[in-house]
Amino acid sequence: MRDNGKTGATLVVGGGIGGIQAALDLADSGFRVYLLEKSPSIGGVMAQLDKTFPTNDCSMCILAPKLVTVARHPNITVITDGDIEQLSGDAGDFVVTIRKEPRYVDEEKCTGCGLCMQNCPVRQILYDESQPEDLRLDPAEVAQIEAILQDYRDRKGVLMPVLQAINNAYNYFPRELLKYMARELKIPLSLIYNVATFYKAFSLKKRGRYVIRVCQGTACHVRGAKRVLEEFERVLGIESGNNTDDLLFTLETVNCVGACALAPVIMVGDEYFGQMTPGKVQTVIDKYHKEGKGYAE
Amino acid sequence: MPNNSADNYITAKQSSLRVKRYCISICGGTGCHAYKCEKVSEAFVEEIKRRQVEADIEVKTTGCHGFCERGPIVVIYPDHTFYQRVKPEDASLVIESLLNGKKVVEHLLYVDPITQERVTSVDEVSFYKKQCRLILGNNGKVDPEKIEDYLAVDGYNALRSVLFGMAPKAVVDEMKKSGLRGRGGAGFLTGQKWEICRRADGETKYIVCNADEGDPGAYMDRSVLEGNPHSVLEGMAIGAYAIGAEEGIVYVRTEYPLAIKNLRTAIKQAQQANFLGDDILGSGFNFSVRICQGAGAFVCGEETALIASIEGERSPEPRVRPPYPAESGLWGHPTNINNVETWASVPLIINRGAAWYAAIGTEKSKGTKIFSLVGKVNNTGLVEVPMGIALREIIYDIGGGIPHNKKFKAVQTGGPSGGCVPASLLDLPVDYESLTAVGSMMGSGGMVVMDEDTCMVDVAKYFLNFLKDESCGKCTSCREGIAQMYDIVLRITQGKGQDDDIVLLESLGQIVQAASMCGFGQTAANPVVSTIRYFRDEYKAHIQERRCPALVCKDLISYTIDPERCGGCVVCAKACPCGAIIGEPKKVHKIDQKKCIKCGICHTSCPPKFRAVSIVSPVIS
Repeated sequence: MRDNGKTGATLVVGGGIGGIQAALDLADSGFRVYLLEKSPSIGGVMAQLDKTFPTNDCSMCILAPKLVTVARHPNITVITDGDIEQLSGDAGDFVVTIRKEPRYVDEEKCTGCGLCMQNCPVRQILYDESQPEDLRLDPAEVAQIEAILQDYRDRKGVLMPVLQAINNAYNYFPRELLKYMARELKIPLSLIYNVATFYKAFSLKKRGRYVIRVCQGTACHVRGAKRVLEEFERVLGIESGNNTDDLLFTLETVNCVGACALAPVIMVGDEYFGQMTPGKVQTVIDKYHKEGKGYAE
Repeated sequence: MPNNSADNYITAKQSSLRVKRYCISICGGTGCHAYKCEKVSEAFVEEIKRRQVEADIEVKTTGCHGFCERGPIVVIYPDHTFYQRVKPEDASLVIESLLNGKKVVEHLLYVDPITQERVTSVDEVSFYKKQCRLILGNNGKVDPEKIEDYLAVDGYNALRSVLFGMAPKAVVDEMKKSGLRGRGGAGFLTGQKWEICRRADGETKYIVCNADEGDPGAYMDRSVLEGNPHSVLEGMAIGAYAIGAEEGIVYVRTEYPLAIKNLRTAIKQAQQANFLGDDILGSGFNFSVRICQGAGAFVCGEETALIASIEGERSPEPRVRPPYPAESGLWGHPTNINNVETWASVPLIINRGAAWYAAIGTEKSKGTKIFSLVGKVNNTGLVEVPMGIALREIIYDIGGGIPHNKKFKAVQTGGPSGGCVPASLLDLPVDYESLTAVGSMMGSGGMVVMDEDTCMVDVAKYFLNFLKDESCGKCTSCREGIAQMYDIVLRITQGKGQDDDIVLLESLGQIVQAASMCGFGQTAANPVVSTIRYFRDEYKAHIQERRCPALVCKDLISYTIDPERCGGCVVCAKACPCGAIIGEPKKVHKIDQKKCIKCGICHTSCPPKFRAVSIVSPVIS
């Protein structure tokens, strides 16, 4: 190998389970391995999962021994917080420049006890009340949200009803309002975000004046709901889940509106249209174009 | 002893119910709403005012009558005259007929699709004849916004007799004897569930009504809540008394605005009449009910996820059972969760006795069940039948068979967790065990009929797409397994299927079933596995011949114009959204396959006298 100028060292880019296994296999067959990882620790996505497909085995039980082996292996050098800046050379003779981000912790001395994390004062503060974030809300909006919040202060299980009320008033969740709500109800913004993105009826994106919901229930499906949806997408020029540019329409699908006898059925706002066909789509849209004339944002 | 003030209130209310000569009952369910039934009702009121016959005829907007296919529906009491597809302009004719010696308005009568005869009485309509409408029966008689109407049909009598005549334990025993099983789908014995919750330790207990009816194709819970909300409240109050709870929550889908509105009104009225609240009717028993709205997540119909959702938890996911909610549920307290239909059955059982109820149905499945009979069937709507009735009776006798003389192919029961039952099993009795045995399930009672124009692979794809979106993602097997199955079925419908795909689907299905935690994942493979089981040929046609026998899968079909039949009328060419039809007047048209987006508009717009556009599979290259 030396004769043709090739070195026996390898660089594995990415410290997920794939990279770890590759590094271990290479190292066990006698290669010198540099395992490069962009984030502060190796393990990747698998370290975040509780189970693996398809056997539902505990993922940490598979991953953890490998992490330890990698760290102890004499042939492996782990480089975390690093990224490739430059790569040159040919197969067997590469030159790689790696940029390593500062860690501000002496890696030689750190035992990974986590005490620094627990004691960091910045992390402890949910909301810094001494420095209230400047929320760009005008008094009218504050009054509106206050009217919603007043019934729910200091009670448990209020997150859903409050979100429902905001959704009813705005059709979506304005960012500033969620922040205001988080601060006032002392609910972490991350939890609000989590719940707000879990449910289909909620949206973080602004919605149009008329929300068109095309039912995709089973009864509607067998009577051709897919075609109706496609025709709406074609006529409005948007895909389901989006707004038209003038914010007049939002096109959405819904799993079942419970009016199966009228299949295929759509809803525009609160109004139902039963026995839809692709041919009727234009008529429905024209009707609301007329009603919504002059609506501009 | 019953509280006198409450009693006085009720008698006062009841006596205010004046019985007029005729009552025009107009269906106000969601189906009929879509047909603008409120306009019909207004027209009737106006007409009565115009003729000054308010003293003789009263107009009532009631809950869903069930026969949604024929809405708006009007039934005239006491004659039981059944009018369908009523328009506002018909109001004067109907009232005219009432005033002039009871002649019926011929053109509004229902025509039996088999005998072609006009039917006058609601009891003679084939759709209703074979039904056993115990729970839905009052829907057509009661104005859901008036508690007096519910009292007039003996409402809250069951609650009264329980509060003043039965010990909580006796109520639980009565439920056990009735053999009522949970109507949400799993079919757990209701009495047993109550017993566990009653015995569980804890001062605070909760009652929950699961009205998160997420199964696409099922809407019976909506109908009950919209049409007769007091029956559910009464059932809940009885349940609360039996297990010792003081607070109840109804968890309703946000997609059901009318149900929420009617329920809210009902709760307020029941509180005023002291059927809810503190010291109910002077018995010393307290029980209050509040509403909690869902926000469009199918998995929240699962009881543990539902609890998490009420609590406002981080992604409401199901959790491992045990402990069951009956021991540790909402905020850690024992919680009894039942479905809307189950709660509505409770007052019936108390009023008429467990023995009476247990006499209906089969050995293991007692009572009646509401099904939403929808899809490719003549009489779509809600049907309530005794357990054990044959599928054939539901689809042909009640449902009136398949429209346009098409052939029946399958019926999908149990929503996304259920399966497809083929024509060969039409004589199967409908009960919990029989449906499970053939690879489907009872579920909440959706019954979607499919004819020869339905592609079973497409149906499997549809359900997988649904399940893929709705999986909460907690179990890897469910999250990844469903997505993989979807990808495979998708490529089959695109004509890119591989020979071993069917085997792969079957083994994936097994894994998803075995390795998932909650009922969602455990049943997620049913739609695929059952369609493979009964319609393997269709899968093979897609994979081996690149052909969709039902002419549904877009990538495997082409539209074509028969030159023999084409009359050169230009209708299709004008309707075509992408200019793919080449043709001049009086000359045979042709479809440019390269431009065609397969929207099917030409097929539907071609005049019936020509019927020149046809669909072929495999595609024309």
